[in-house]
Amino acid sequence: MATVQVSEAEKVYILHGVRDDLRVDGRGCEDYRHMEIETDMVSNTDGSAKVTLGHTDVLVGVKAEMGKPRPMVPDEGYLEFFVDCSANATPEFEGRGGDELGMELSNTLYKVFNNRYSVDLKSLCISRGEHCWVLYVDVLLLQCDGNLFDAISVAIKAALFNTKIPKVHISEDEEGGKEIELSDDPYDCMRLNVENVPCIVTLCKVGHRHVVDATLQEKACSVASLIISVTHKGTVTCVRKVGGGSLDPESIFEMTETGKRVGKALHAPLMELLQEEESLGKKRQKVGFLG
Amino acid sequence: MLKSKTFVKKTRSGGIMKIVREHYLRDDIWCGSEVCTECKQEETVLQKDTYIESNLCSFPHYLLPDTNIVLSQIDILEDPLIKNVIILQTVLQEVRHRSAPIYKRLKDILHDKEKHFYTFTNEHHRETYIEREQGESANDRNDRAIRISTKWYSDHLNNTPTDKRLKVVLLTNDRGNKEKAEESGLLTYRCEEYVKSLIANPELVDRLALTNDDKNEITSSKVLFPEHLPLSRIQSGIKSGTFQQGTFRASRDNYLEATVFVHGEGDDSTEVLIQGLQNLNRAVHQDLVAVEILPLNQWVAPSSVVLQDEGPKEDDVTEEEEEAELKSGPSGAASRKPTGRVVGIIKRNWRPFCGMLFLSQIKEATRHLFTPADRRIPRIRIETRQAATLAGQRIMVAVDGWPKHSRYPNGHFVRSLGSAGDKETETEVLLLEHDVPHQDFSQAVLSFLPKMPWNITEEDMAVREDLRNLTVCSVDPPGCTDIDDALHCRDLPNGNQEVGVHIADVSHFIRPGNAMDLEAANRGTTVYLTGRRIDMVPELLSSNLCSLRSSVERLAFSCIWEINDKAEIVKTRFTKSVINSKASLTYAEAQMRIDDANMNDDTTKSLRGLNRLAKILKKRRIEKGALTLSSPEVRFHIDSETHDPIDLQTKELKETNSMVEEFMLLANISVAQKIYDEFSECALLRKHPAPPPSNYDILNKAAKSKDMVIHTDSAKALADSLDAAQVDGFPYFNTLLRILATRCMMQAVYFCSGMDSDFHHYGLASPIYTHFTSPIRRYSDIIVHRLLAVAIGADSTYPDLMDKHKQSALCNNLNYRHKMAQYAQRASVAYHTQLFFKSRGILNEEGFILFVRKNAIIVLIPKFGLEGTVFFENKDKPSPKLIFNEEAPSLTVEGHSFNMFDKVKVTISLDASNVQHQKIRMSLVEPVISGVSVAPSEPEPEVKRAKLDR
Repeated sequence: MATVQVSEAEKVYILHGVRDDLRVDGRGCEDYRHMEIETDMVSNTDGSAKVTLGHTDVLVGVKAEMGKPRPMVPDEGYLEFFVDCSANATPEFEGRGGDELGMELSNTLYKVFNNRYSVDLKSLCISRGEHCWVLYVDVLLLQCDGNLFDAISVAIKAALFNTKIPKVHISEDEEGGKEIELSDDPYDCMRLNVENVPCIVTLCKVGHRHVVDATLQEKACSVASLIISVTHKGTVTCVRKVGGGSLDPESIFEMTETGKRVGKALHAPLMELLQEEESLGKKRQKVGFLG
Repeated sequence: MLKSKTFVKKTRSGGIMKIVREHYLRDDIWCGSEVCTECKQEETVLQKDTYIESNLCSFPHYLLPDTNIVLSQIDILEDPLIKNVIILQTVLQEVRHRSAPIYKRLKDILHDKEKHFYTFTNEHHRETYIEREQGESANDRNDRAIRISTKWYSDHLNNTPTDKRLKVVLLTNDRGNKEKAEESGLLTYRCEEYVKSLIANPELVDRLALTNDDKNEITSSKVLFPEHLPLSRIQSGIKSGTFQQGTFRASRDNYLEATVFVHGEGDDSTEVLIQGLQNLNRAVHQDLVAVEILPLNQWVAPSSVVLQDEGPKEDDVTEEEEEAELKSGPSGAASRKPTGRVVGIIKRNWRPFCGMLFLSQIKEATRHLFTPADRRIPRIRIETRQAATLAGQRIMVAVDGWPKHSRYPNGHFVRSLGSAGDKETETEVLLLEHDVPHQDFSQAVLSFLPKMPWNITEEDMAVREDLRNLTVCSVDPPGCTDIDDALHCRDLPNGNQEVGVHIADVSHFIRPGNAMDLEAANRGTTVYLTGRRIDMVPELLSSNLCSLRSSVERLAFSCIWEINDKAEIVKTRFTKSVINSKASLTYAEAQMRIDDANMNDDTTKSLRGLNRLAKILKKRRIEKGALTLSSPEVRFHIDSETHDPIDLQTKELKETNSMVEEFMLLANISVAQKIYDEFSECALLRKHPAPPPSNYDILNKAAKSKDMVIHTDSAKALADSLDAAQVDGFPYFNTLLRILATRCMMQAVYFCSGMDSDFHHYGLASPIYTHFTSPIRRYSDIIVHRLLAVAIGADSTYPDLMDKHKQSALCNNLNYRHKMAQYAQRASVAYHTQLFFKSRGILNEEGFILFVRKNAIIVLIPKFGLEGTVFFENKDKPSPKLIFNEEAPSLTVEGHSFNMFDKVKVTISLDASNVQHQKIRMSLVEPVISGVSVAPSEPEPEVKRAKLDR
């Protein structure tokens, strides 16, 4: 992952700041940086969103394709994740440099999102055991400035919210042969329920405290961080520890509590924002990549 | 301004794709009107004064038809009277999507400068583009787009000075659309309303297609036919196998019978028999239909009865219950065929039909029956007020629909071709009916002709071999102006002989992809009718620049062999060349030179050498199993002034015919091998498949009747047993047998080598074959020339030449055109035969029975190569006692039995009682059977119809 070099003096400065709940950029320990969200960015996807968090920039596209349900769960569709760490984000990703990070990110995303508690996978089933929708979630990192997980999770939630899956009808003839028919009205489409889609909150242990939405400098001062996915109700669905250092049980407990609190507070304004954007309909001014 | 159009599509593999297209809107699309001062257009299409006398719109106006008007009333739009019409892009696209032929016709109108039709690209205009709204169907959206554009036009034209102000009239038959348009203040009429308002031109009304509303009033509510199933039911039925899909082919002989050719997987296709009006269920010849196979116990055998929907009594407009279904009783389970009924029509294949009007017996009636020239097409009911003028004329009629309570389909008058019986008209009908493109070459095509005077340039000479010093000559039928082959033969110092076949280098003049090339590719072949030739390439090329006439320098593609004394090829080479033919001979002239021992010039020597080699080649070919078949070909002596046939004779073949033929075969085979070696995937070849054994049934039966056995297991065996089949005192027997054998054969077809694995040419007993030697009259040869030129490095290639799918599509067209050209030629001969017999009156001739049918015998008159049917059943006479034996086959009439090849004497006369289907009528004279045969008539020069039996 993108790293920066931090000198001893800077480290001490940051550590002392965090101890006093005052971070280098003036935030408190549980504050996010400025976040911008725009949906429906890429017209040839079924749903897309771009999220800017500080200088971190993430684009997520969702494509729905027909596939066969997994044998174990014949009445559910599923999600596939792919994270592309483009060299635009940071020169370190050049060549195969981003592959490892990409794998790590997508593995986490599978764990967090691809389950029936996060997304209503049953609604993705078209005909039991035969056809289902597969949602290909493609994540493109445009710029890295720390806290990728949180930015990606918000972008995925927004993109899933934006996703419009064309409606299909299964018609059956006398012989039992099934035929998939596509609605001829492009407006006739299915929306996903994203209520339960969690957001990821990454907590970075800096000194004896922990911070939300760490910048690269803060990250350099931290030995370990905890990734927590939280639903709108404050339920923790997944926890992962990343980084080389260790965390004592007490601070894990504390961090989880903070994560729940912050995560819960993140969902409400996000949903509000998305709904407001949706209600604008065609009147919405698209900002796009040049904005 | 950029918009994107998004739509979801189902892919062939069953996936679902979202497709996004960029759509640019512009503000520089002009209205195309002459009166407009705002638009900065350079050229205008729509005229300033566009007056048409109408009692609905007394002001100058432009018309703006919606899609359905264009689709259903294209004949009206084509009328020269209708001018200044705005065709919206929306309409154009929809038409293109729904009907390719109508789209083509619309495009032709749009290109016609005289018609002043303007295409307004409303979909890209900033002010008229609309997006589909939620809950709006695609059709509603298009209707709205049409209304928006009409509105735009009326507002736009309102900005012009008042004295020149024009209005726009929207034509639509859709009630909803009309109401909405009227709400927004647009001038809207139904097409019928508008056309009927054109008081000055009442004849236009005839060309109106009948729409659904009109049909109801015409026909009674009696339902005659079962309902057609909707397309969705048909599709699911076909998928599940309950229905079969196939091409409907009406029977020529029996109007109550048809077959549906079901294309199966791979090669196995079956024919389903359909019998009876109810089961035929309004299908018309060539429609794509869905059939349901009836249970086994309802299967029937095809009736061998000849049954025609005989005319006069059905001239009545009222529906008649003419259900005299002459179904043949199930005659032996063996001959039963899969029988079915038509449940629905997948695609109509209606085209305008030629034919004649049969006037209604009720005076002042406006509805009449139209009888198409093609017997397989049912009669069509049309509405016209000019019946009196149209009677006795050949006319074209388009079909509009066939409601389930009508005995006949409804149609409308398109145009008149001229009076019936007129030779010009009849030829026109013949060409139209056989889909032979015969219009004059367009200006675009002619623009690709070389400039005259044309000379061979230095550059041409540089890349070509100079063969001008060789003694080349051509041998052709008399009167031939498109000479595409010439030959030479000379001794080489080593004792071998050099033989050259020089073919006109048409591909030098026709370059791939240009208008002339496309036109030639579409025409496919030159069509030779009696007394008329419809060229594939413009005359300048066919009769002058490409024609290898004597004493002029011409470009050629030469195939030159070194051949030893035993006529074995030592060396073959191909080259582009320049030749100077020393003589253009006819077959007879060439034969005379060879036979005349006093002539010893170079040309004659060359001919003798060729003749000698040809004989060896022919012998070897026949040993290998090539077939010599026979079909009676007729030649007319045409009066030079009246162009009427004055004499009729069967073509005779001279030795020189087969000499030329032999070398052409050799060239074709050599070229085929060369292009296949070079381009194994995309060589254009010709194959002749071996016929399936069942084809030979009739031949076997015929031979058996004379106690002979014909072996049909191989071409060689067939050729040998045909040679051996001789009957003492019956020299014509062998020819008859060969005529029969010819009818057992399959059609030879062009194909692309990459798409097929069976290359064998059965008739010529050659493993590979193509057509190289007649590029002036066949397009296939042009392609072969191009391939060969690429193979020897004389020309460059182009993508389509190497694309096997495109080649294959081209082959399909060529095969179709060749088949149709053959039919047209036959029809032309038949027509001229009739003219001949018309002038000769009644003749008595000897003939042989070629086939035996259930109620008739088919007789061949060797003298004229003419075939005719002698019927034994008469409507107005009690039928004689007929016993038909299918196995022999033989027909016993009142105790006298007729077998195949029996000699009979008949009177031949022209039956002109039906102007449209004039036919040669034959009646039996000998053997004398009371009540059946007629007295021999005196052969008199005048026509004496009184003597006719009926």
